[in-house]
Amino acid sequence: MDGLRELQQAFLGHLLGEGSPIVGAIESTADASVAERLSIYATGYRLRLKEALETDYPRLHAYLGDALFDRLSDAYIDRYRSHGTSLRGYSRHMGELLGELSPFSTLPVLGEIERIERAFNHSFDAADRPPPNPGLLERIPPATWPDMRPTLHPSVTLLPLRYNSFAIWQALANETLPPEPTDAPATWLIWRRGLVSRYRALPAHEAEVLHAICDGEPFGALCEHLLEHFAAEAVPREAALLLQSWLTEQVVATLDWEATPPSC
Amino acid sequence: MSRPFLGFGLGLRTDHYTYIEEHQPDIDWFEILSENYMVPGGKPLAHLDRIRADYPMVMHGVSLSIGSTDPLDLDYLARLKTLAERVEPHWVSDHLCWTRVDHTNSHDLLPLPYNEAAIAHIAERIRQVQDYLGRQILIENLSSYVTYHASEMPEWEFLDEIARRADCLILLDINNIYVSAHNHHFDPVDYLDGMSPERVMQFHLAGHAQAGVMIIDTHDHPVCDPVWDLYAHALQRFGAVSTMIERDDDIPDFPELRAELAIAERIAGKILPAPALQTSHTALRGIA
Repeated sequence: MDGLRELQQAFLGHLLGEGSPIVGAIESTADASVAERLSIYATGYRLRLKEALETDYPRLHAYLGDALFDRLSDAYIDRYRSHGTSLRGYSRHMGELLGELSPFSTLPVLGEIERIERAFNHSFDAADRPPPNPGLLERIPPATWPDMRPTLHPSVTLLPLRYNSFAIWQALANETLPPEPTDAPATWLIWRRGLVSRYRALPAHEAEVLHAICDGEPFGALCEHLLEHFAAEAVPREAALLLQSWLTEQVVATLDWEATPPSC
Repeated sequence: MSRPFLGFGLGLRTDHYTYIEEHQPDIDWFEILSENYMVPGGKPLAHLDRIRADYPMVMHGVSLSIGSTDPLDLDYLARLKTLAERVEPHWVSDHLCWTRVDHTNSHDLLPLPYNEAAIAHIAERIRQVQDYLGRQILIENLSSYVTYHASEMPEWEFLDEIARRADCLILLDINNIYVSAHNHHFDPVDYLDGMSPERVMQFHLAGHAQAGVMIIDTHDHPVCDPVWDLYAHALQRFGAVSTMIERDDDIPDFPELRAELAIAERIAGKILPAPALQTSHTALRGIA
């Protein structure tokens, strides 16, 4: 093993638990064997990755308990290497593993708790946007309203959930006994207002319109979604109320009408 | 010789954000972990900006992987440069190590063989990084637990020669010298005496833990007496060097850590004349 690259590949192979010739490249001493010395690095490698998973999923950890979370973490570390310069993002395949690995895959509520925690992690350090100007709605030229497009704050995640996973997550966060999993379909909104992460359940009409905003639909199309929930004469008022509340809550970061040509 | 002297600092840790912002404690400077602030937004950058407004800072990274045989990570360098433009640190440092190969990251500071081939490889990469960042960087010695058969010289000669060829600066971690000296059976004073003084720009101090016959660099204990003794020797050899304590686990309240830093100030006060310990923040602004 003459070259630096070959040596580094062998060292990494040892950390990954693969057969590796690194042992032959390292000096032994009377007080510590090569195996003992290398084990400091191999143990540290797995500990660091496990700590990253524990940091990202404290409620999933609490729900599963130490033994099952250790089993899940070991399987994760065996399956996924870290390719980023930061451990932030290492856990991004957790939902995939939970959906495939028995016995975790038999409990779909686990995948939903994972998505909740991931959404909060995202909200924590997503990009900043200045709070919308309070008089923004009044500045929109009337003719441009139908084509005006709201843009959500970068911290926003919309989570359609089938089970009472949020109630379970809340109980775990409060260190109380979580309820039994049960069907409770709802869409949840997680975002950051200022520096504080927030969440709430969405009424069906609000969830539908926020999904439409995610898809880039203009205000006119958003109103058509509301027609399925409200009488036609109530739609403009409901749409305005929603828009105002999203601006106040900083769920919507900007309204874009400048690019829209005025109608003639 | 004359070198910029920031005084006595601490690593900026999330546990202390609120205390620092509410009390504005008497401390000369903070060192940030660069990677903690390579995020799009939110709390980390908000706290960073607030505290930076009141204190000088330096940036310390763990992911440059300067010794790797993978190509330099240009995306990482771009983010490092962007952060440096935001923070305007007095300097930027990272470790004399490798962290990844074949695009797999170990998230550990892994040791290098101390030989000519590694010197040439690393000195060239440091030059490329310095050209890209538009500034000299500091390279720090590691704690290590293995020695390669391929090593041809002691670590201090390796570090000194890389710094000379790359024209970079040095961050000497006094605790790491102590830990590696114990683990590899050399005299830590030989390490200090073997370093050329002119490139040493910063000292790290930290605690460690015993694990069987080995010592592990854990940063979860106070600085121990033998490391304080080594620090005193380093001050005698190198003069006034900006000094900080790293604490990454079992982090105490801020006042307790500040009191530990006062030990460093007292040791320096006994060894160095008062004029040597005048900080040079104002003078530094011109070169940072």
